[in-house]
Amino acid sequence: MVVWERIRRDFPVLGQLYDGKSLIYFDSACMALKPVQVWEAMEYYYKYLGACGGAGRSTHSLGSETSMLTEDARNKMASFINAESPNEIIWTRNATEGLNLVAATIPLSKDENVVTTTLEHHSGMLPFYKRCKETGSELRLVEAKEDGTLDPADFEEKIDDKTKIVSFVHASNLTGTVAPLEEVIKIAHEHDALVVSDEAQFAPHQKLDVRDIDVDFCVLSVHKACGPTGIGVLYGKYDLLKKLDMYMVGGDVIEDVVYEGGEVIPKYLPPPHKFEAGLQNYGGMLGAGAAVDYLQEIGMKNVHNREQTFSRKLLEGILELEKFEVLGPLDYKQRAALVSFRPESDAVNHLDITEYFNEMIPNYKILMRSGNMCVHPFQYQIGINPGKGEGVVRASLYIYNTMNEIDIFLTELENFAKVID
Amino acid sequence: MSNFKDRNIKCVIEILKKQNPATTKEILAMRDLFPDLCAGCTSGGDVMLAGKELAEQGYVEKKWTSVGFAWKLLKEPEIE
Ligand SMILES: Cc1ncc(COP(=O)(O)O)c(C=O)c1O
Repeated sequence: MVVWERIRRDFPVLGQLYDGKSLIYFDSACMALKPVQVWEAMEYYYKYLGACGGAGRSTHSLGSETSMLTEDARNKMASFINAESPNEIIWTRNATEGLNLVAATIPLSKDENVVTTTLEHHSGMLPFYKRCKETGSELRLVEAKEDGTLDPADFEEKIDDKTKIVSFVHASNLTGTVAPLEEVIKIAHEHDALVVSDEAQFAPHQKLDVRDIDVDFCVLSVHKACGPTGIGVLYGKYDLLKKLDMYMVGGDVIEDVVYEGGEVIPKYLPPPHKFEAGLQNYGGMLGAGAAVDYLQEIGMKNVHNREQTFSRKLLEGILELEKFEVLGPLDYKQRAALVSFRPESDAVNHLDITEYFNEMIPNYKILMRSGNMCVHPFQYQIGINPGKGEGVVRASLYIYNTMNEIDIFLTELENFAKVID
Repeated sequence: MSNFKDRNIKCVIEILKKQNPATTKEILAMRDLFPDLCAGCTSGGDVMLAGKELAEQGYVEKKWTSVGFAWKLLKEPEIE
């Protein structure tokens, strides 16, 4: 049994009073808080090791322990998503870098196309937009429905035998929509297209089994999964990773750089090392390993069950007020643990709402994000104009939140509805 | 050229010099008047942060109203 109060105590941020107020942290879709276990793992590296690890680097005691621990963290990450081998796990700076890496290095010709959706985070959209501009390939957009859902039939329409990549967000950071990933993967594979899934918002909250769903590449954002900032993961099937071109080159990616006949001839290492140029974020890797250990210990099923109960309450509570428009599907089972909403009257800017909850609630600071959540195209599609400063407020949940916090928020939201025009 | 944050601080001041007080919504709508100063994403977070900094330093008064926060320039900070 998970003792959730104990879990909450692992997050000292939540135990403090900030400006004399208790914190209700509803911004985990932007960044999750970090438990002690994570920073202790990082502290161990900075306090007792602090040396370089990795392929072909220092083999003294501090270097070899660093290499051993970081490879151990890679193993943990592989097990977290059930990758076949740790060699399929590439450390990146964040999910964005992983998406850029795939978009930039996958062989793509002018007569091929890429399929993505209007619901993508800019980090999922722009790398493929840029690559298609460079190659002259067509970027085909599947439009999410008004309620933020994605219909496999729409993918079926866009994907053909010339589709090289289908890239889309598994759980939307804006609408909370959980995409029909497995169905789309099947459609894509029937056309020999490769699938890239953006797991930034899914993997921290639900069990992701890359082998079970047969995804070709995916990216994870470690800082949204209780881990440190500045570290992310790109997963790729090993044979596919081997075929990708280099992304960044330099130290640590090479077996040798021969100098012969007045020329240099680099010989690159196989994946994952061929994608990890330069000295790495070793402390971050250890923190990432500790973060997934932490989540695995709680159990991803437990995480999901608890969040679903909470997000149902949050969603239904906001809807019951009948004063706010909610983005995304209205069935809690189709959603991740976040709700983006805006007042039906447009008198108040979204920034005022988050600032109101940050400052104006007695005894509490309720911390949320507002704006466009880096998903402008979908908002333009449904008539919210980011260019005119329109946007939404997002409340997002994680393992440390409580039902009491949701109750407090809903009461305050009801009060808020009364103080606006 | 001044940094990003300082430019946004100047952006808020210049807008409030045109309309004082102004609501957040009005400030965001007037950003177009000072495109070289009002920097950052359209959602306006950078302008909000600049306004909050001015309020914390006592140059601006920030008050809740039924249409959001109203920002009033009290005195102009000395920035080059
Ligand atoms: C759906 C989605 N994709 C990608 C990203 C980018 O993640 P990262 O910050 O790890 O690059 C985010 C971050 O908000 C996200 O929500």
